[in-house]
Amino acid sequence: MGKRPVVVISSSDDEDGGCSVSAGCNSSRTKSERSVGRKKCRRLKKASVLNRQLCKQGHKEEEANFDALLKDFYEDFHGHSMAPGERGRRQKLGSPWADSRELWVDKYRPRSLEELAVHKKKIEEVKMWLEEWVRTSKEQFCGHVLVITGQAGVGKSATINVIASQLGAEVCEWKTPTPTLWQEYIHNANSGTHYISKLEEFETFVERSTQIPTVILVTEYGKAESGDNTKYSEELVLSLERAGASKVAFNPLTFNSIKKTLSRICREEQCNVPPEWIDHIAKASGGDIRHAITSLQYFCLRPDLMLPLNLSSLSITQSRGKSEDLNEMSKLIINSDENLDYEFSLPFGRDETLTLFHALGKFLHNKRETVDCSALGRDLFTLKDRYKRFPLKMDSPERVLLQMHGQARPIADFLHENVLDFLSDEAIEDAWIVASYLSDADCLLSTSLHGQAWSPIVAGKHDPENVTQLVSASVAVRGVLFGNSHPSPSRWHAIRSPKLWQVEKLRWHNKKLMLLEKFEAYNIFSSYGMSVMATEYKPTLKRLGFRSLEDLQVCRKMTECSKMEVGVYDLLDHDEVEGGTSMESEEDEIEDW
Amino acid sequence: MLWVDKYRPKTLDKMIVHQEIAMNLKKLVSEHDCPHLLFYGPPGAGKKTLIMALLKQMFGPGAEKVKIENKIWKVDAGTRTLDLELTTLSSTHHVELNPSDAGFQDRYIVQEIIKEMAKSRPIDTKGKKGFKVLVLNEVDKLSREAQHSLRRTMEKYSASCRLILCCNSSSKVTEAVRSRCLNVRVNAPTEEQIIRVLEFIGKKEGLSLPTGLGSRIAAQSNRSLRRAILSFETCRVQQYPFTENQAVPPMDWEQYVSEIATDIVQEQSPKRLFLVRGKLYELLVNCIPPEIVLKKLLSELLKKLDSELKHEVCHWAAYYEHRMRMGQKAIFHIEAFVAKFMSIYKQFLIETFG
Repeated sequence: MGKRPVVVISSSDDEDGGCSVSAGCNSSRTKSERSVGRKKCRRLKKASVLNRQLCKQGHKEEEANFDALLKDFYEDFHGHSMAPGERGRRQKLGSPWADSRELWVDKYRPRSLEELAVHKKKIEEVKMWLEEWVRTSKEQFCGHVLVITGQAGVGKSATINVIASQLGAEVCEWKTPTPTLWQEYIHNANSGTHYISKLEEFETFVERSTQIPTVILVTEYGKAESGDNTKYSEELVLSLERAGASKVAFNPLTFNSIKKTLSRICREEQCNVPPEWIDHIAKASGGDIRHAITSLQYFCLRPDLMLPLNLSSLSITQSRGKSEDLNEMSKLIINSDENLDYEFSLPFGRDETLTLFHALGKFLHNKRETVDCSALGRDLFTLKDRYKRFPLKMDSPERVLLQMHGQARPIADFLHENVLDFLSDEAIEDAWIVASYLSDADCLLSTSLHGQAWSPIVAGKHDPENVTQLVSASVAVRGVLFGNSHPSPSRWHAIRSPKLWQVEKLRWHNKKLMLLEKFEAYNIFSSYGMSVMATEYKPTLKRLGFRSLEDLQVCRKMTECSKMEVGVYDLLDHDEVEGGTSMESEEDEIEDW
Repeated sequence: MLWVDKYRPKTLDKMIVHQEIAMNLKKLVSEHDCPHLLFYGPPGAGKKTLIMALLKQMFGPGAEKVKIENKIWKVDAGTRTLDLELTTLSSTHHVELNPSDAGFQDRYIVQEIIKEMAKSRPIDTKGKKGFKVLVLNEVDKLSREAQHSLRRTMEKYSASCRLILCCNSSSKVTEAVRSRCLNVRVNAPTEEQIIRVLEFIGKKEGLSLPTGLGSRIAAQSNRSLRRAILSFETCRVQQYPFTENQAVPPMDWEQYVSEIATDIVQEQSPKRLFLVRGKLYELLVNCIPPEIVLKKLLSELLKKLDSELKHEVCHWAAYYEHRMRMGQKAIFHIEAFVAKFMSIYKQFLIETFG
């Protein structure tokens, strides 16, 4: 027991992917890495082995990764130093690059528990586990594995590193290596280096270890990203847990703790970053501290470029939090979509794409603050009670819509299909308000449809078509949000896909059938309108029952006769052809709509 | 063959109702020429019958030799080519089509296809340049744009073709189109006229029609002759010999709509609204036009309503009917109407009964 306790970290490969935020060139590689890495993790679990080998491989790869990441910075940096006049200002701000070229993420890696931005409780949990293990290591044979899950950048590995150093333990980290390229392999073979399969490397890494606490870090993907990945990692965590591993889930970092860390860095770097900006960066990071720090560093590179944006977009974000729906609406109309553009053109901020269902869930659940905020809007104008709503617990709907990149039509359809489930049982008035707004949205959409062909194509996003799309989506969503003033107590609802689509398809199909029938069966000398067919002929024929069948046959004979006489079209033949094409055109139709 | 078709008068002389219009039309085409015509009137009034008889009057039996063509037209619509499928019914002298079948692409039909048809000009037996007749059904369902292009077509090809337009309500046809046509209003036949027709058919079929039944069929038909004849035939199938107080069955979808109305009056809640939506879908799937659904629903609801509310309910029905015409997906608007009705009705119940 004289040995130093050793902790093994098997960092899930996703970690690396997450790290290279801006290294786009990496993406193709990470995919293959992922699958390899996953296998490794499985093996690890099966062997349930504990390592004691200090592992230094992957070091090179780490550097390569950083290089890619740094590229952007260098570019910016060089571009910056070209302009000589700005150098002075940079120095005033305490230029981050003047003293070292180190990334702040590394430079300000937490050294003590206090510096960690992770929630105290979680740190405590991890620490407890490790200490417990150290205390009872000899006797216990199961439960050597701790699984830490959490999004990228919530400080999983940082926590382990800090705690381990506190305990005086050595950390052996397995970093998923980058796979060897073929050219690389050939080069290495020529130069006499022996190739070792990465899997083998990993196996030896695992095998050389014995009874050492192992921490497996699993980076969770946001639900928004591809579902299969999430499934795998969930499965992995589950099976690990079944095998007796304990699990600690890290949540995204809170806004405040990120802010605190950022301010600390600013102090130490002597960067004069306005507090609003820190707020903003912290907000945009979405609980990812690595991202926040990188953004901060990036920001400090060229604050001059950012500053003008600062005021306008910030004023909007602030007003958004407080004001009421109408107020917001008017603001949005006044400022049009430029503000939104600014926010999205910020060089930092995580990719906040939402899936359709996520966004729909937001709209339908209609979560609102419960405090009375009427005081906040009072200075503008007072609203009648029935128009008052509590502020939304989300970004403005337009923003959410932009994030999900949806088209107005499907959004309206989905809302229409699902909204009634979310209304409380008594609230028929609400149902009407919602329905009337949806009806408005439908009208707006159809005008856009007719206008489409007529209006000359105007460039870009100010194309009327585009604007109507935006407006009608906004009307539909805000109508749903506004109208649903008595949401039913939240429980789990499945969001259905619109039945309307199915109905339309069927209807189209029936119409086709009827169109044929119309000519085929009843009156060869004239045709009836669709509505007459549907409302009068078909029901009558149905009622006439078998007689109509006989009748139809007679008619068919007649048509055949007349066909021979005049030598017309072969209806039956045509029928079949049409059956094929009608499906296609129907599909197109749906898409068009 | 259904009686409606079997006993449809084939010539203008044989018309039982609208004899006056028939005679006027006969005079009108005595020179083998005619202006553009717009027939309008409620369904089942006899517009189509008049048109067919008129064509026969103009072209003789040749107008009856028709063929069905289902053709896919390639239409160049600015940036892309559209494939439009359109079924037409045509003889050597006339073409009959339903432009509104093409939905929102009806404009192209009017612009391109009608132009195409209007261009080819038949030459009659005497070597005189003749003209072709285009019969357009359901003109009131055409979109505004389509109607505007129709106007241009009418002017440009007035030498080589005549248009006969047919619709329910001339108010939905633009002023420009209306003023270029001779408008022929075809009234709904009176109940006496309907009874006369029913008796005529009864005699031909060798049936004895009790007067009571005849007048009840006529009363239920809502002054639609077609409807009356169809119900007459249904009655015949259901029970013969006729009795005085035999039930005249309504159409199945009408029954369904009145069920919906009952549902609505029974309970007013989002859940019920959802149920109603499902039933409305059922109707729409069966191609019952949404306007008709709304209209029927309104009349069913009005039956069950306190007269105090009728005015407001009618107002909202009209409002959403208009919406429906402007919009694209009818269900949104019908549902909004149902929701509004529920809301009004619930309010009313609370006020009256506490």
